[in-house]
Amino acid sequence: MDNGRTETPAAMGATGLGAPALPARAPGRRPPIKAALFGAVLLALLAIVALASFREASAPGSRTSRPALAAPRPALTAAEEQYALTLWPIHNEVKAGALKMTLGGLSYKLGELDRAGLKARVEASAETYRAAAARIAALSPPPSLAGAHQMYAEAVRLYQQSAAEMLRTAGDGRDEHLVAAHPLSMEASERLLKVGDVLWPGEYKPN
Amino acid sequence: MRKRSWLGIGLAALAGVIGIGALVAPVPAPAQGEVYSVWLVESSRFMGVPMGAFMPDRAFVPGSTSPMNNVNTVDLPVNVGVIKGNKEVILYDSGWKQQDYFKMTGTEHAAPLPEQLKLLGINAADVTKIVIGHGHWDHAGQLMDFPNAVLYVQREELKGIEWALNYPNPKIAAVNTSPGGCNRSPACGYPPKTLDEIYGKVLSGKAVIVDGEMEIAPGVKIHPAHRAHTAGSQLLEVPTAIGKLMFGSDAYSSWEGIRDWMVANIQQTDTVQQFLAYEKCYKVTGGYQNCVAAHEPLSYTDKYPLTKNSWTGPNGSRMAEITLAPGEKSRKP
Repeated sequence: MDNGRTETPAAMGATGLGAPALPARAPGRRPPIKAALFGAVLLALLAIVALASFREASAPGSRTSRPALAAPRPALTAAEEQYALTLWPIHNEVKAGALKMTLGGLSYKLGELDRAGLKARVEASAETYRAAAARIAALSPPPSLAGAHQMYAEAVRLYQQSAAEMLRTAGDGRDEHLVAAHPLSMEASERLLKVGDVLWPGEYKPN
Repeated sequence: MRKRSWLGIGLAALAGVIGIGALVAPVPAPAQGEVYSVWLVESSRFMGVPMGAFMPDRAFVPGSTSPMNNVNTVDLPVNVGVIKGNKEVILYDSGWKQQDYFKMTGTEHAAPLPEQLKLLGINAADVTKIVIGHGHWDHAGQLMDFPNAVLYVQREELKGIEWALNYPNPKIAAVNTSPGGCNRSPACGYPPKTLDEIYGKVLSGKAVIVDGEMEIAPGVKIHPAHRAHTAGSQLLEVPTAIGKLMFGSDAYSSWEGIRDWMVANIQQTDTVQQFLAYEKCYKVTGGYQNCVAAHEPLSYTDKYPLTKNSWTGPNGSRMAEITLAPGEKSRKP
């Protein structure tokens, strides 16, 4: 620290540690330019490091930042697992039937399918729902999954109702039946997702 | 003689630099014509996805010090483009609705898109058009929440689902591929509800089935990118004050992939078609900087410069202001 006082070699070496004495500065002499520049550069570097650290820490989505994930849900019991496994192939059929029925409606509206074609498509899906409903009725879910079981059965019933409405369009050519059928299908599809969320939480992957 | 050769070298170097600059720099928008404001909104974030599942070339190698192989997992945003101008509010992709699938995917920071748009001063009813880059559940959800919006989907996308479902080989026709899961068979990514929503737009007369290219607003052009991710993937070109942008949905899953020519998020993807989609961005925008990726992990950071002007929105989701048209006010808080 430069306080403007003259320090003699004797005074500087007075620690008794044998440090070599430095040459005395001339009275009133300013610090050398090199030292001042070095200090300025050092300060600038420190400021950059501090700023970079702050930005890194506060950057959204940084690969190093990881918000806490939601706690994993408890695993299904053996009975629940068995029910999920039994329902799974039925679920495959119902999903495929629902997609085909929707695509049938789409193709009809886009003029790619006539009424006979629509009828054939929807009847095929209706048969899928009928078979699925029978298989579901034969299942005995564990008490903990009674609600999910009921919801799935109701979803299939809604798809059946939707199919019946769509078939009316195949009969009379009026689009209002398709419009009436759509919310029934939407509701059924929503219920499939809700049941799936309980039984098959990994059903859909990020894609 | 010596002077002339040095002069020649100098001129050649200058020409080279100018040439490279012309190739790499974004093409500025024409002075005349419409330019649009653009924001990017994070619909949700898939947490802890193995890097190798996202970008095979960058699969994690334990102990590797190479930046290409030393990342174990990544968090993937699901990005939605918001384009405003010329009396239009256009969405590119529409994300997905969290309550349907929230527990299924290790997702964090999901937020309803209408709520996010409100922060940009846009009501759901104001959205005029929605272009879905493809029909997968995480990109084509929430359609019914935008009652006035006209949907744009490639016919080839719908045909691709139909083809898969009706294929005689059950390994191709599968809607579920393994107990409890649906992986990457052609129809896997389309839950009934997603298709129901697309059908709902058709039923209400608010859908345009696109065959190839289409200009949907002045300067805003759909480009087909079939098989660049799914059967009917499509890109969207948007003129802006910072040059043309090209949105790619999952054909452009990774911006780093476009930059480094690496495939990403392979589904029903022909890798040649994905690279041709990358090439389209280079050709139209003049480089890779203005290619807008759907799942780039670096989104909303300085490392993906186009998206760096970002902030945090509902439930920790992120938003970025990419560019503003003349006279448009910033929405950044």
